[in-house]
Amino acid sequence: MMTKGRIMFVLPLQVFFIFLGIITGSNCIYEDQVGKFDWHQSYIGALKFAYGDASGKRGIVATESNVVAALNLKTGNILWRQILEKEPLGKILYLSPSSGSEAVVVSGGSKPLVRAFDTINGALGFEWPLPGELNLDKVIWAISTDKLYAVSVNNGVDFVVNQFSLRSGSQTGKWQHNAPWAHKSKCVISRDLVICYSGKEIHSVRFSQKDAKAFTLELHQQIVNIRSVKSGEKPGVFLDFAENGSEQSHQVVLLPEQGQSIVKCKLMPYSAHWVLSDPNHEAVSVVQLILKNKVLEVVTTDCMSGKKIEESSSAFPFTISASLPQLEDVICGSRNDLSLCRLLVHTEEESIALLHSSGKQLWVREESLASISVVEMMDLPVSDKDAAIEKEFDNKEAGLLGMFGRRLVSQTLQFQQLLQTVFGISDPIQPAGQRTDLVRDDFGLHKMIVVATKAGKLFGLDNLNGEIVWQKMLTNVDTSSMQLFVQRTTRHGPYPAQCSLLLKDKVSNESVLYTFDPITGVGLKKNLGYRVLQAMLLSVMDEESLRPILLLDSEEKVYIEPQTAISLADSFAASTYMYVANTDTGIMNGYTLAQSTGERLVASKVWDVVFNPETQTLVNIVGKSPQERVHSQGRVLGDRSVLYKYVNPNLIAVVTQGTDPLHKYVLNVYLLDAVSGAVIFSISHKRAREPIHLVHTENWVVYTYFSEKWRRTEITAIELYEGKTQSNSGAFSSLLSPVNPLVERQSYILPAMVQSMTPTVTEKGITSRHLLVGLASGAVLELPWMFVDPRRPVTVTPEMREEGVIPYMPELPIPTESIINYNKSLPQINGIHAAPSGLESTSLVLVYGLDLFYTRVAPSKTFDVLKEDFDPFLISMVLVGLGLASYTTKRLASRKALKQAWK
Amino acid sequence: MKFFYAICVVLNLHLLHCLTFAQRDLEPNQDVYTIEGRVFPPDGPISANSWYSQTRILANGGEFVGILKRDNSFIIHNVPTGSYVVEVVNPSYAYEPVRVEINSKGKLRARKVNYIQTSTVEPVVYPLAMTPVTRYRYFQVREQWRATDFLYSPMVLMMVLPLVIIMILPKVMNDPETRKEMEHLNSLTRYDMPEMSEVLTSFFGGEKPKVKSARKKKAQ
Repeated sequence: MMTKGRIMFVLPLQVFFIFLGIITGSNCIYEDQVGKFDWHQSYIGALKFAYGDASGKRGIVATESNVVAALNLKTGNILWRQILEKEPLGKILYLSPSSGSEAVVVSGGSKPLVRAFDTINGALGFEWPLPGELNLDKVIWAISTDKLYAVSVNNGVDFVVNQFSLRSGSQTGKWQHNAPWAHKSKCVISRDLVICYSGKEIHSVRFSQKDAKAFTLELHQQIVNIRSVKSGEKPGVFLDFAENGSEQSHQVVLLPEQGQSIVKCKLMPYSAHWVLSDPNHEAVSVVQLILKNKVLEVVTTDCMSGKKIEESSSAFPFTISASLPQLEDVICGSRNDLSLCRLLVHTEEESIALLHSSGKQLWVREESLASISVVEMMDLPVSDKDAAIEKEFDNKEAGLLGMFGRRLVSQTLQFQQLLQTVFGISDPIQPAGQRTDLVRDDFGLHKMIVVATKAGKLFGLDNLNGEIVWQKMLTNVDTSSMQLFVQRTTRHGPYPAQCSLLLKDKVSNESVLYTFDPITGVGLKKNLGYRVLQAMLLSVMDEESLRPILLLDSEEKVYIEPQTAISLADSFAASTYMYVANTDTGIMNGYTLAQSTGERLVASKVWDVVFNPETQTLVNIVGKSPQERVHSQGRVLGDRSVLYKYVNPNLIAVVTQGTDPLHKYVLNVYLLDAVSGAVIFSISHKRAREPIHLVHTENWVVYTYFSEKWRRTEITAIELYEGKTQSNSGAFSSLLSPVNPLVERQSYILPAMVQSMTPTVTEKGITSRHLLVGLASGAVLELPWMFVDPRRPVTVTPEMREEGVIPYMPELPIPTESIINYNKSLPQINGIHAAPSGLESTSLVLVYGLDLFYTRVAPSKTFDVLKEDFDPFLISMVLVGLGLASYTTKRLASRKALKQAWK
Repeated sequence: MKFFYAICVVLNLHLLHCLTFAQRDLEPNQDVYTIEGRVFPPDGPISANSWYSQTRILANGGEFVGILKRDNSFIIHNVPTGSYVVEVVNPSYAYEPVRVEINSKGKLRARKVNYIQTSTVEPVVYPLAMTPVTRYRYFQVREQWRATDFLYSPMVLMMVLPLVIIMILPKVMNDPETRKEMEHLNSLTRYDMPEMSEVLTSFFGGEKPKVKSARKKKAQ
């Protein structure tokens, strides 16, 4: 009776409890868990401009990611960081120290802004807009004695100097210098001279003076490149001369200032990068960086004699880049002696490093991680011990005796290992340079994060702490479009895992496939020799457990990688379909491989859909993740009947943005079957525009857009159901498709701007799904799917309550407890990657953008893990106590019974 | 029956680079205006280092950015005609966003953000004065250790209750007064549903069973 009563009491409250559970943040963490499951790395992006400030403690940098920051030169950490607008408004054009201790930044598109930042804390000193009439493509910037100069070069005619007061922004002068020799790409500014080259001559004009005369100097060789001298007492240029035979020579020329003489250094075989001049003496020395066989030589030579100054030259191993780093600044503290200087360099690989001239590498920042394009999380391989066990069961043909023998061998091996661990003898044989802890753990929480960045660099990151395990630079590649395929996971021992990255060659524009082992990063680059239009993984594995990649080139030919898998692909050709969308013409084509012969794969077109480019442009196409699993086939309604989900794995969501004279922006979403080309459903929103972010999984599509009409971000959810009967419980067929699905849809207001959106993924799909929404404010919100459920009713019926649907509210809440990155704001979020772990309840999340943030989320709480406060000690104590108590009471009872009997 | 395999359909390569939306640039001869305001820091000590770099002023989610000056004022430059939600973003303190509307003549109006009833106008002072509303609470508060919680935990109950039953109850029962009381209680709560056999015997045999039952009681 008791228990029954309790159930009766709970049932009506069930819905309430669910609701309460969501509101009070089922997904938030305790304060003491900060940093336990998550890590955060801050980046600044690829270096564009940099200098060491006067104190010698800070390096002020401006980057390609529109960031101005100060770095601690001792550690390389970010002291402060200011993030400007997105491109083109925030594009940084110029950085220079002002005469005070401020960093002046010019940034912007057609109307640039001039901002000065306090180098100590990043506060704004002043900010003013430049007039809009400057043509920024022609302008070279300079700061000299509290004046900002915008020197705009009219090629072959003249240059116009605009002078502004640095503090107030008022234009204090405008004049022009005739310069028939001037050409923007051949001119640099050093101090207050514009220095240009043309042929064998260099010309210079003091631009800060209104009627300064041009100065011409003829040299003896053809000049091909010019760089300005930023250091020293005099303005000057580094010149590279045209190749004479096979030899290229270089020279440093310092130009006169206030009646001094020209300094022409001796010709050198290597280009110079820095000038050191002693103010007391006339001696000028130049610094050259030479990279030979991974050894970086810093050579100081005397300018006039060309002799190497041994005491301030050094050579040291340099492994962070294969190409010569670019010297940004030499920070020397007080003395101008190179032996005590630090060199701030940045490399082609987008890493920033501070080198001590004695050869010590003080720190390195891998800034290419600020521009990640593709992410994949890989399971780690099993440990050698586990591999041995797996091997034992691998070979089934060995017969009874053989199996028994192997059993004995592995048992002795295990026993040996046990003894070793007991007696504290560590494994003696350890492959050098390889980490031993990179093995799979019990819960599959330890993974390798494989990322490819826009710089063409690949990284393997340890997901527990974000450490870089391996890195690999791909040279001469165009990374504007990249695709990463996991061809073989680590579960297929003894074969190593294999990934492939598809990108393009920079020169020929033909596709390149880089195939590598995601655990070690070792791989092979292969030029395919054709332009890939579409690529996909085959859903079946070959005999080596490898999933081949199907490639469709621009001439509609089909290729397969590896080529040996052609017969495998052929056997599944009848059920293999591909589609291609062209954003320029708005045409989508569907192909089938059904007409392939055994030797050759043939793609033949089966359908096309045209989105007229005059009225709408293709914005985004989202298919379902091929790894996705849907656990429940339907949804149980309040009356105990089942509403079956329409789970079509071939469904793709196509988003187009239309322009309409009446409504300005129209957003169209089509749900297309990629096999048959049938449009299953379409919806259009008037006066809705980008940013559009779409999530497509299971039987639902969720997307966000900006409603121009109401000036707010809206989120729309579409859910597809087959109905109360299921057409085919075995496999879904697009060609024998059932009746059109039932569509439920609902829109909500999201009171924030969305940067990125992704659903959580778990291994079996049992756990309920949440949406991870990256917001412009830098927060990542974990939004339960229940909140955007299109079945949320306006009027609540008892049946709906029974079903557990919460009533409709137009505005979705953003509870701070659901912000998974708590106070670690993530600016410029580009994407969120969610991957399953070995635990069904837990999904691993990497948020990338300017920063990296990794954490794990448990959408339905960690139902498969013991609670943190689970205390085995207390439980065993209680058990022992109970045992003892029962024993003693037994004794006491028997004694009492005896006494009673004697009475 | 022939099943058609699920194919994995992935994004076309042509499309990928179209996905990042380029922000619109300003036209060179477009009329632009400024949004001004001041951010009031929260009470109590704040680190100047993080305050200036972590407090950002975003108009329309970062389309236009304002940066704090040393005196905590800000100016967002180069803003064309339109409607903007200006928000102060700080990881530790919440600020209420404000909607600023600039009409084609360059007149500014600031009002409260209302996403549901977008036409209601609740004016706010301009230049903007942004004051902190509250401190963000990102974390769940861990439950404190309490004696009652400990006592009511199933483990402890399991230990204590049997102890009570085994050790104390017999003692209580031995006390004659309470025993009497218990008996009294027992007799009160006893159901007056006579046993079927008793009914039958009393019906057929008269007095006998009562004595029997009384004897039974004594034996107890």
